[in-house]
Amino acid sequence: MRIESSTYLLEAAAIWMRDMRSEFRTRFAINAILMFALTTLITVSFAIGSFRIHVSEKSFLYSVLLWIILVFSALSGLSRSFIKEEEAGTIDTLKLSAKPQAIFLGKLFFNLTLLGVLELLIVPVFVILMKYPIKLPGYFIAIVTIGGLSLGAGTTIVAAMIARASVRGALFSVLSFPLLLPLMIVSIKGCERASEGVDVSGWPEVKIAIAYLIVMITASLFLFPLVWEE
Amino acid sequence: MTNKLVKAIERKFQVKVTNLGKHFAQMLLFKNLNFNVNHGDILAITGWNGSGKSTLLRVLAGLIKASAGRVDMFMNDQLVPAEMRRLYLGMVAPALSLYLELTARENLIFFSRVRGLKLNRTTIEEIIGRVGLKDRGDDICGTYSSGMLQRLKFAQALLHQPPLLLLDEPFSNLDRKGIKIVEDIISKQRLSGITIIASNEKREVDYADRVINLSA
Repeated sequence: MRIESSTYLLEAAAIWMRDMRSEFRTRFAINAILMFALTTLITVSFAIGSFRIHVSEKSFLYSVLLWIILVFSALSGLSRSFIKEEEAGTIDTLKLSAKPQAIFLGKLFFNLTLLGVLELLIVPVFVILMKYPIKLPGYFIAIVTIGGLSLGAGTTIVAAMIARASVRGALFSVLSFPLLLPLMIVSIKGCERASEGVDVSGWPEVKIAIAYLIVMITASLFLFPLVWEE
Repeated sequence: MTNKLVKAIERKFQVKVTNLGKHFAQMLLFKNLNFNVNHGDILAITGWNGSGKSTLLRVLAGLIKASAGRVDMFMNDQLVPAEMRRLYLGMVAPALSLYLELTARENLIFFSRVRGLKLNRTTIEEIIGRVGLKDRGDDICGTYSSGMLQRLKFAQALLHQPPLLLLDEPFSNLDRKGIKIVEDIISKQRLSGITIIASNEKREVDYADRVINLSA
């Protein structure tokens, strides 16, 4: 008998690499996310182009629109991380092979990679297309990055919860919304402040988003084995 | 000789099932099942379609919970904790799939890594060769026939050389060569652990020392 000797992180890295390889070959999640993001972004830019918005409203309204695009794009593709295992019948094979926490971390890394790609492509295009004024770029990058990480953590645990449900699509949005609402409010406020260039000493929104991220990952690591084993 | 004997003693594995029952909602599949399976045993589970053969294997594997009773596993008379059982068992079943978008080698490398096994390329090649897929090892599994996938499932289940092998209709989709490969695997497993086969096929059941009929 061969006995395993590995850490959660090594196993998680194996799952992340496997998901990346599968995604590279099928491009299912990335296509879903990017197509949603691009069509929404183009629709928004045509419907409420920069010339229709009063200067004083821009910071708030553009921050809201940016996070609506990011959150709903994420919701359109990240739910697939566990559902595809269930649909392909690989979920039980994976259960018999890996530690639950390693599976959660692997899926989390994969979702964060997808979100990273989404933000790298969509945020600059949004800023340029909408002429989004950003007076504190450092703060803006920090809140978008931490907000994205937290968004990935929140959606990954919900994706695990709904994988075995029959009405997954609706359930994913319903369960994600209350979980992501505090994060959205904080991220929108952070982007608005970065856009207006008001005092951000102490980086309050970034700190709250980091706290959200830590709580979400810690709670998920405890909850996931229960969700996974049931 | 002494080393072999020591190894045999070291690997003594046992499964003990006590008052096991399973029902889904109002539908009772089985109840009050009691049996022991010792190292070297081959047990067959038979029964009509829907009698709970596959479900019993899934309960033994820990994939679903029993409605009543318990399953205990012992390695050298030491109780194996429930969360550690997956290290001691390999399972081949129609419901357990592999990643069709990966090649056979990629599947085996993934499952060995995720199990924390440090298998080198030679060992992986040896395992692929053992199930007769050496020439097709770099092909995407989506292009495989159902028989080739069944062979690959065996390769995946045997990666960690488990002392407990759970087989649900092991010969399904296999050609004569494939059946011979699985027969060899079952024969070798008799020396290294326990095999539990869920099937109604006479050829598969004939390997067993004992039969539990869930329809009885």
